[in-house]
Amino acid sequence: MTETAVSATVAGEEPHWQRLHPATLALALAELGPRSLQFLPAVAALGFTGNAIWIVPAVLASLLISLLAAWFQWLRFRFLVGEDEVVIESGVFSRQHRTIPFDRIQDVSIEQGLIARMLGIARLGFETGAGGADNDASLDAIAIDAAQALRQTIRAHRSDQVAAPVATPDMADAPTATEDRLLFAMGPRQLLTAGLFNFSLAALAVVGATMQFFDGLLPFDFNIFNPRDWIDLAGDYGLDQWLLAHRWIAGFGAAISLLFIGFASGVAMMIFANWNFRLTREPRTLRRTRGLTTRTDVAVPVRRVQAAIIVTGWLRRHFGWHELRLQSLASDGEKERDHQVVPFARFADIDRVLAEVAILRPDADRPWQRSHMIVALGGLVGATCAGAGGIAALAFGQSIGWLAILAAPLIAATALVGARFHRWTDLDGQVAIRRGFWKPKMTLLPHASVQSIDIKSDFILRPLGLATLVFGVPGGSALASHEIPAIPVETARGLRAHILAARARS
Amino acid sequence: MTDTPALPTAPPTPDALNAAEGLDPVDPAYAGVLRVATALNLIPLAIGASVLDALLIRHLDGPYGLMTAAAWLIAIVGIVSFPSRRVSRWGYRMGEGQLRVARGWLFRTDTIVPFVRVQHIDVGQGPIERWFGLSHLIVHTSGTHNSMVTLPGLPTDLAAAMRETIRRHIQTDFA
Repeated sequence: MTETAVSATVAGEEPHWQRLHPATLALALAELGPRSLQFLPAVAALGFTGNAIWIVPAVLASLLISLLAAWFQWLRFRFLVGEDEVVIESGVFSRQHRTIPFDRIQDVSIEQGLIARMLGIARLGFETGAGGADNDASLDAIAIDAAQALRQTIRAHRSDQVAAPVATPDMADAPTATEDRLLFAMGPRQLLTAGLFNFSLAALAVVGATMQFFDGLLPFDFNIFNPRDWIDLAGDYGLDQWLLAHRWIAGFGAAISLLFIGFASGVAMMIFANWNFRLTREPRTLRRTRGLTTRTDVAVPVRRVQAAIIVTGWLRRHFGWHELRLQSLASDGEKERDHQVVPFARFADIDRVLAEVAILRPDADRPWQRSHMIVALGGLVGATCAGAGGIAALAFGQSIGWLAILAAPLIAATALVGARFHRWTDLDGQVAIRRGFWKPKMTLLPHASVQSIDIKSDFILRPLGLATLVFGVPGGSALASHEIPAIPVETARGLRAHILAARARS
Repeated sequence: MTDTPALPTAPPTPDALNAAEGLDPVDPAYAGVLRVATALNLIPLAIGASVLDALLIRHLDGPYGLMTAAAWLIAIVGIVSFPSRRVSRWGYRMGEGQLRVARGWLFRTDTIVPFVRVQHIDVGQGPIERWFGLSHLIVHTSGTHNSMVTLPGLPTDLAAAMRETIRRHIQTDFA
């Protein structure tokens, strides 16, 4: 690919258009599997109307049409790597012509699924920082070495011209690595520890729902959530009499299996996502490679980092484990709006990564200021509603109302305790915001990342002399903006003036 | 990122949350824009309510006329009285290096955008605004929250002048 880039620059030469790897078609075939589910209603309709003969031809025809469509798309898709831009042309009927200057590419990500790894191809994504997932271009499948070469080309171009325009003073002292350094890696041992803390009842719910769903379909008639099944199982071994006498054994067995599934799924998810996790410091970027089946290779440009978020859990905090995410202009995949750069580590490791992006973690003894307790109001109102609803349900003779009445004090207590954990502090050049008791989250926001500031107050906050500060920060989710809720109006104004005086971080 | 950044001046009236409290007011003609826009929304609703009333409530032997009266009352109050109040809740101030936009009454929001953080600027004009000779200014930042800050109800030439002011700041910043 480097040769192509060079050859395209030779004056007078015909631009060298390239196609995607032919294996794209194989990928399209592989994608047909899940997609063929949508034929099911049609197949069922054919079957019910007595036209069962047509099922096979219909399915074959639709497969053929999909393949043809994929082939046409492949035929009509071409890209050109120019001197300082990538040009992509696509579309069968409506042609789309897109030019992406190298300057505008924040980040080039390489992703390989299981099949792609076997075929030696990769998906190359260009993060341009444009809003919305659709706006970012990608090359679905090119050979892996070509992908890496293209990324090198783009990176080299970027670092060539970095010297001149935007040298922010706060970044100047950040060490400019000349060679790649390993910052953080996760071995199997640490993955196992992390997975145990990743105990997930959500996976349990999925397994439970699947069990319910497939109850009649499974070849074995066994539902691990049903104590009776356990008794039946014991009966096969002649244990049933003993078990009936000791019913708690059955309950115990169910609980053990629940725990086992929770832990096992946690470990499995951690291993699949983070196998061979490596975070390296490259000249201009932090580069993260990870994954067991789908290996991803993502680079976060250091200068594009806008904020750091340290997340942990109630239990893992007591063991000193934390997770570090970096909010950058480019997004990480479709769901995540920030980059997980350290999934599970102690502060010593996290501080080392934070130092690379010139963000400071506040010391343990730094005084924090608290938000007003009024932030618990929403939860309290919810608790009141739950209680009232429960009482109403009881009045109508629905015993499920007890559940709501029991939940109400819990919700209220959670809200009150959580409110005590809304804290903030102003460090030199950055704001730190903490929230959450069950899932503590600390946001480290450099003043220079702040693009705009709102002071919000409403009919509840205003009589109390309070206001909420909301920061406009590039990247991240529009739903989870950074804010300091319910602090005195004077403090909010002072902090706003202080932050706005900071210089831009580009 | 100039070496001597235009320091955003302290807001001259930090307590002010709208025009009545010392910020610059938006053009009073904006009340007309709001009035027409509200009318276009509420009158079809009121007509719908009247039709429903005539078709349904009358045949159900319900209190015919109540719904019609209520709908039209709400529409008239909404069109006549609210727009001028809403206009007075807006306020803005072009500072030395920043734009301040305050709005709202029950839920008040006071936004400051430093000029150096502005990505691009739109001056827009809808058909109703054109009728009243007004425009709105939209300031885009790269923040995910507040990616667009809109200031409505500006005379068209003032909006253009404000755009030029902000544009000069952007240019000096990136030059």
